[in-house]
Amino acid sequence: MLRYRFLFEQMVRRELRQKYKGSALGVLWYLINPLVLMGAYALVFSVLLRVADVPDYPLFLLVGLIVWVFFSQALLAAAPSLVQNSALVRKVRFPREAIPASVATVQMVTFLVMLAVATVVALVVRGTFGPALLLLVPIVALLFCFVLGLSLAVSVLHAHYRDVEPVLGAALLPWFFVTPIFLRAEDLPGVADREWLGDLLQWANPIAPFVDAVRLVLYAGASPGAGHLAYIAVAGVVALGGGLMLFRRMERDLAVML
Amino acid sequence: MSGRGLVRGQVVLEHATRTFRVRQDRSRTLKELLVRRGQGSSHASVEALRDVSLRIEPGEAVGLVGRNGAGKSSTLACLAGIVPLDSGRAECGGRVITLLELGAGFGPDFSGRENIYLNGALHGFGREEIEARLDDIIAFSELGRFIDLPVKVYSSGMFLRLGFSIAAHLDADIMLIDEILAVGDESFQRKCFARISERMQAGATLVLVSHDPSAIERVCRRVVVLDGGGVAFDGDVTEGLLHYHRLLGTETGASRGARPGEGPGLEVSELELLDADGRSRSAYRPGEALTVWMRLRATGEADRAVAALEVRSERGELCFRTDAALGTVEGEVEVSFEIARLVLLQGSYDVAVGAAAQDAPTGRLLERLTRLVVTGTEGGEGIADLRGSWTVAGRAGAQEALR
Repeated sequence: MLRYRFLFEQMVRRELRQKYKGSALGVLWYLINPLVLMGAYALVFSVLLRVADVPDYPLFLLVGLIVWVFFSQALLAAAPSLVQNSALVRKVRFPREAIPASVATVQMVTFLVMLAVATVVALVVRGTFGPALLLLVPIVALLFCFVLGLSLAVSVLHAHYRDVEPVLGAALLPWFFVTPIFLRAEDLPGVADREWLGDLLQWANPIAPFVDAVRLVLYAGASPGAGHLAYIAVAGVVALGGGLMLFRRMERDLAVML
Repeated sequence: MSGRGLVRGQVVLEHATRTFRVRQDRSRTLKELLVRRGQGSSHASVEALRDVSLRIEPGEAVGLVGRNGAGKSSTLACLAGIVPLDSGRAECGGRVITLLELGAGFGPDFSGRENIYLNGALHGFGREEIEARLDDIIAFSELGRFIDLPVKVYSSGMFLRLGFSIAAHLDADIMLIDEILAVGDESFQRKCFARISERMQAGATLVLVSHDPSAIERVCRRVVVLDGGGVAFDGDVTEGLLHYHRLLGTETGASRGARPGEGPGLEVSELELLDADGRSRSAYRPGEALTVWMRLRATGEADRAVAALEVRSERGELCFRTDAALGTVEGEVEVSFEIARLVLLQGSYDVAVGAAAQDAPTGRLLERLTRLVVTGTEGGEGIADLRGSWTVAGRAGAQEALR
């Protein structure tokens, strides 16, 4: 595997080049996207609907949005990646995991840039500098494992069943709305008298604890609880292990079916 | 994939079997999966490899030939480890480099130089290993300043130069090359073959798939003829190519197992293509005069002898076939087939001839092969100049349309 480290580096470069080719703003586009979303949702929820009574609401939104945008963009880009690289899969022997992994990694790079921006803003606006900030490193690493594992799974599933990508595209929008990004799950007005609903929103959706953990550290300057961190660790490891296992099982005949 | 127990450069296929299911509709959907579950499948299956066993030793160059669908590319893909076998064993000792398709493994937006890194990396080489060979690769490719331009502007010839230069300089133990060298010009091809010989002297092994017998003949001493997913012939290159040619001549494709020299007492001892001045050459322009000349030698007296001639395109399609009754032949005779105007257009063709007594089946006749190269673009495009002329009638200004 070590032998292919250089391959992985090259594949990431290739992916980056393809993604940003011909766009004058390049990587900036990917930074603008969450900012535009942030502006729109802040307007709707804070100004127009007045349901969000949260200090520095745009920053609160931004931290959740960048995690979501990373998660959804990586899956949407990874799903068709094997099919798009069919010439490579059919004609060269190399570890095919490198294809969805490089796609997820490129999204990760964009995410890290966005996260750095958000961190600086949070430190200035919220003054959240403290030891909890160190937790960001393992949380982000586990988030990457989680996204990488799912990326491997959807890419190989899509190669076998070509409607995985459209199904995913259709599922991500409602998924976005049930993920506690606009407000923390326990702060939702409809959850006040039904605690189980808040727990359901928070823990049945595996991306929600990641969103909440990053937000706790950056926005609130607080540390997630031990149970919360354990959940994230298990989710990251299980997704990566399961994704790899599924990929290895289903990649056998890729060269023939693509 | 480096196989255990194999010497570097050794290639082994043992009872390799691989069946492909051919689907009507290439892509499967979830709905189909759910609806069809438990029902009989509508797949037709094709046996691409049927119990193929091959053993290639380090430093050998082996040509794989066969008609379309004979299993050549499947064999290479299985050897490369790209397509898994259903049963049997496919192993390569040491490092393998594949050149199965032009431009596979290239990033279109990468420059030629960056693609050298990418392609090397895909074959499992590290940065230092690639950097050590970078200058040689660039020099060999003759791409000059194009090396720093994105490869999407390259012509297919330039793709080949780059692809081959990388493959030939990464010092793999085994090179698997599929039908690619035909794209390059003659001088680059010569260079490629020289480089391949060099690599083989260094102990590398080559497996080359090609429809072009002359390419096989230039580098390979051994040829394997595949037919219907099985090995129809494995041995000396000249004999193997004749076998291949005979295979192309049979309608059913079933190998008849005939060997040259088995004909009853009559054989072609010489074959030449002669131009209008009677000189032997192999390259002609469309419209030129050309004579296919052969010398037949009969051992004893061959009764009711026939001579046959066949012309095939590079891809193995039959362009023309004819035969002639020669009566009784004794000793040596010269037979000519005169073509007043060559109607074939630009391309490479195989001219095969043979002779036998009348009762020999025609499929066994062809025993000698030569190459005819037609160059020049006059006469139109395609295989043959149909020698027609254009007219337009019944419309004013029609002459304009004709220019």
